[in-house]
Amino acid sequence: MRVATDVGGTFTDLVCYDVDKQSGRVVGLRTAKTDTTYPQFDEGVMNAIAKAGLDPAAFDFFAHGTTVVINALLSRKGAKTGLITTKGFRDVLEIARGNRPDLFNLAFKKPEPFVPRYLRREVDERSTYLGEVLTVLDPATLDPILADFRAEGVEAIALCFLHAYVSPANEIAARDYIRAAWPNVSVIASHEISREWREYERTSTAVLTAYVHPAAKRYLRTLQTSLDAAGYGHAPYIMQSNGGIDTVEGAIRNPIAMVESGPASGVLGAAALGTLLGEDKIIALDIGGTTAKCSLIENAQTRITTEYRIEWSRTNPGYPIRTPVIEIVEIGNGGGSIAGIDAGGRLYVGPESAGASPGPAAYGRGGTRPTTTDANLVTGRINPANFLGGEITPDLDNVHRAFAPLVDRLDGDIGSVARGIIRIANANMVNALKLVSLNKGHDPRDFTLVAYGGGGAMHAVMLAEELQMPKVIIPVNSSVFSAWGMLMTDLRRDFVRTQVVLLAGENAARIEEIFAAMEGTARASFADEAGSGDLALRVQRYADMRYLGQEHSVKVELPDGGFDAAVLAAAIERFHVTHEREYTFRLQLPVEIVNFHVVALGDVPKHDPEKLPVTGRTPDDAMSGLRTVDFDEHGVHEARIYDRDRLEPGMRFAGPCIVEEAAATLVVTPGRTVAVDDYGNLHVHMNA
Amino acid sequence: MKTDPYTLEIIKNALVAIGDEMFQTMARTSMSPIIYEALDFSVGITDARGELIAQGQGTTVLLAMIDSFVHDILEKFGNAIRPGDVFIGNDPYRGGGTHLSDFGLATPIFHDDTLVAFAVNKAHWLDVGGAVPGSFSTNATEIFQEGIQMPICKIIDQGVLRQDILDIIIANIRVPQESVGDMWAGVAANGVAERRVRELFDKYGHEAVLTAKEELLDYGEAMVKHELAGLPKGEFFAEDLIDDDGLGDTPLKVMVKITITDDKFVADFTGSAPQTMGPINNSRTGLTSAVRLIFKAITNPQVPANSGSFRPIEIVCPDRTVFTAERPAPVSTYWETLMYAVDLIWRALAPHVPERLGAGHMLSVCSVVFAGSHADTGKSTILVQPLVGGWGGGDGRDGQSGQFAAADGETYNVPIEITEARYGVLVDQYAFHTEDGGHGEHRGGKGVVLDYRMRTDDFAVTGSFGRFKYPAWGMAGGSDGSPNHLDIIRADGSHEVHGKVTGAKVAKGDVVRMITATGGGWGDPKRRCKAALREDLRNGFLTAEQIERHYGGLGD
Repeated sequence: MRVATDVGGTFTDLVCYDVDKQSGRVVGLRTAKTDTTYPQFDEGVMNAIAKAGLDPAAFDFFAHGTTVVINALLSRKGAKTGLITTKGFRDVLEIARGNRPDLFNLAFKKPEPFVPRYLRREVDERSTYLGEVLTVLDPATLDPILADFRAEGVEAIALCFLHAYVSPANEIAARDYIRAAWPNVSVIASHEISREWREYERTSTAVLTAYVHPAAKRYLRTLQTSLDAAGYGHAPYIMQSNGGIDTVEGAIRNPIAMVESGPASGVLGAAALGTLLGEDKIIALDIGGTTAKCSLIENAQTRITTEYRIEWSRTNPGYPIRTPVIEIVEIGNGGGSIAGIDAGGRLYVGPESAGASPGPAAYGRGGTRPTTTDANLVTGRINPANFLGGEITPDLDNVHRAFAPLVDRLDGDIGSVARGIIRIANANMVNALKLVSLNKGHDPRDFTLVAYGGGGAMHAVMLAEELQMPKVIIPVNSSVFSAWGMLMTDLRRDFVRTQVVLLAGENAARIEEIFAAMEGTARASFADEAGSGDLALRVQRYADMRYLGQEHSVKVELPDGGFDAAVLAAAIERFHVTHEREYTFRLQLPVEIVNFHVVALGDVPKHDPEKLPVTGRTPDDAMSGLRTVDFDEHGVHEARIYDRDRLEPGMRFAGPCIVEEAAATLVVTPGRTVAVDDYGNLHVHMNA
Repeated sequence: MKTDPYTLEIIKNALVAIGDEMFQTMARTSMSPIIYEALDFSVGITDARGELIAQGQGTTVLLAMIDSFVHDILEKFGNAIRPGDVFIGNDPYRGGGTHLSDFGLATPIFHDDTLVAFAVNKAHWLDVGGAVPGSFSTNATEIFQEGIQMPICKIIDQGVLRQDILDIIIANIRVPQESVGDMWAGVAANGVAERRVRELFDKYGHEAVLTAKEELLDYGEAMVKHELAGLPKGEFFAEDLIDDDGLGDTPLKVMVKITITDDKFVADFTGSAPQTMGPINNSRTGLTSAVRLIFKAITNPQVPANSGSFRPIEIVCPDRTVFTAERPAPVSTYWETLMYAVDLIWRALAPHVPERLGAGHMLSVCSVVFAGSHADTGKSTILVQPLVGGWGGGDGRDGQSGQFAAADGETYNVPIEITEARYGVLVDQYAFHTEDGGHGEHRGGKGVVLDYRMRTDDFAVTGSFGRFKYPAWGMAGGSDGSPNHLDIIRADGSHEVHGKVTGAKVAKGDVVRMITATGGGWGDPKRRCKAALREDLRNGFLTAEQIERHYGGLGD
């Protein structure tokens, strides 16, 4: 049996299936949802396993995604952390980049550093950008620092020395010395997590990693023990932000790589679905209660970046973490986003969210302002009888009260205001979708929109209309889609290293040497590690390239192995093309590599989902009734309501209609056709 | 057909988003750190009349440069503006003007053969020629020493690059590869805006977009009027001294009278010093930017900037003052004086808007130029960068430490690891200092010390560190901050201290130490809570001696 569990902010999801030994086909797909248990997340996981009636002894494979890292960071519940830097640079962490994104706010407050100044200490050591060690570290100089840290109750230590991305010797010496002298403390050296230059970003990365290390380690060990005790005989795998899974040992060594594992597994799920269905250009869209996230996928390849920040916003620089993360654009618009009117008379939606508590006005739990969900209810798009899966009866009086001030100010009726709210929420989401597509030179008309999460199906068709996308796919079990994605991933580690090398013929051998050395490191990192030994390993090469003199780079995929003059010439041309697509112009200038990027993949056996039986029912058999629904510019219609559980492969039906399932509602405007594929995924054809 | 209010809302948001997208394109494709790290540039779109619709920017001081640049294009080219044109110019005394280093590029946008908008960007080029590398000095006496002057002309004429014009520019500047790269980045950024604006017109139609645009401007005005209503009414005064003009030693007196009524914000700088021989002069466009900047800060900092939001502003200032200099006054360090205009208003109003303004900050952007040959590659390099420093304490809050001056904004310091690789100097420290100043119940934020050790004999350093003699002001009983200064510590141990310095030669082993101000203190230091003082001592932000002397000790 293959099992995935995804610990989210509210729910812990489980997806599992068996593989028929004879046919190799998936049988008995099951899902379960339980409450997430703070702060002992592993209890929720074991609860979900119990709720699904599963016996861990029967598991062949167990993948796990968790919010333990992002939760420790956002709630500031990590370890008391000390930082040791090169002499002269302990304040780099607090100076940060000095920027003030809230430009005109002259009372702007910088983010507080995770390590206060008295726990930031310096040692005499120095390397150059060329990788020479100018001053060798004398480890004994660490003794007084460690004594002070012990006295202060420090639980984790981050090390970041200048130029350690190219010359890690002093960091290694310091780390090994501290480990020997103080085995119980967590020690993270910056180069273990990031081999890219820019000392503030690397320092921040090392500090945040150290900060979460004790909690992540405790959590993963506990989970492993619980699973062992329950009879699971193999090593669990942990979901990473790069869209792959890693071993428990790998995750403990580099816990920060789990920071965006939830969103990453959803995108991976979309990529896997694309492969299954032969869709090579996909935009994945996940609409939740508070935010909408989107990401672009081409040929099953997700875009990876190390320019990631937590708590970043238009007015907050946030904290950088240089770990490979799937490129995701996230905006503050979800089902719970609150609508209002500002002092200048402008109607806005989000980013403030009513969350789960008090929740939308319709919950009747104290919410006094209208949300996107309330607007969807008013327009008839959400079925009042199936609100929150039928768990509560919407408080429509409270919804009217919440809309009243807006209806008054905008001189309309509740219907027009509700349509306006949805239209603005959709426009916000369209902007996010443009950021991942048009903004990078991709035409959305060539892409299929794969929408999931609680609100994905509700908005997807209208968003696709706006962007003239030809097709929308709403996957099966779209509300536990992220957990399913984990069952479709490979073991993956990304290795990124800054080495500035001109792309010139005479450097081809050197470039090959650097890649080969990195691949050696990548392969060695898996050796003797539980869970990785028996997997077939393969590597992929990428390089971050730029025009000589530019700073920002463009990631270019390279062929595996044998970097020679021909590959070099092709790489340069590929860079020009990518640069021109993303930024509209190319220059007649030399091109250089700034970062080498190697991806090591261990192929995990994967299985196509089960095909659903066909009984010969017609769409009419799946209809549960008619409802008056306001489709905005498409008019008000008596829409057919379909019950998704009763749909089966081969069915086709046209909008205007609504397809309802327990945790999601698909809204289909007139003129669109819905087709159910062999697996039960819904394909909304926009032009037929 | 009348367009409904929600669609107008969506068009307005899309117009504002265009500024952001232009900004990203420019930053990502630029060739020079002054643009991609310091983000010393601004992009925006105006309507066909030059009214600012949306602006995306990295610094705060370019708020009047986009619209005024377009006004000059309209005046000069009128009916000769064609599809496919791109205009270029850097005249500091007229529209768009700051100093010669900032080149403007404007692309007219047509829809159905009608001029509907302009996309504009204004960016600091690494070098525009003139007497010294980096093109700014603290001792020029005429504009002719400060670089190439480019009155507005077409660099691209109906889609065809005017190579003759480009050749003139290339022949006059030191590092043309970077600057020409940046020019193309600017053209690309304008191109992004052109596409997006056309898409809007195609989708929603001429009338709807123009209606949305007018509403957007009215919205800007409504938002600031709402804020204006909450400001105290009456007249407010401040005066101050600028250290010197870089040539002489004489301080320059500057002053402001602010009058706030229900619908007007009048800034009158009458009485301020006449324009000077040295290059600290600021032009009238710069003065407009200064007033817009501080007006935005005290009304609503988050509202997107547009012409409507500046309608309540009126500026009074005679010609040929240090704030309104005219040809041929040198202007290359104009920002020092521009920021005094901001700071005067700040000082006059800080007691009245305590949640938005605290005590005085570093003020000077503390810009430095290092030019010389790279120790490892031998190639000539120019490093231009502003520095971070301390901000003033405020009501209920300590000042911010290590943050760029108000003139900057989404500005990033250059990482040490990149400085060492790219310029071949060795950086000894980048740290907070404890130079005395900024004491208060809420103390000033800390300035930094940044040491560059030379590895070759041929570097020259230029730096403009205003508020060297007259440091950041304290308020409500807090003390003044510490001064900005640039020291040169020679290999032989001799030590020079500068406020402004141009082209100082430094040799192998010499250290250039850049020290930025600690901000002004707020409130009587004796009232600072003891727990905060204990933290300051533990963290090394104050010395035991400073706590004893200014704060009455830690108590028992």
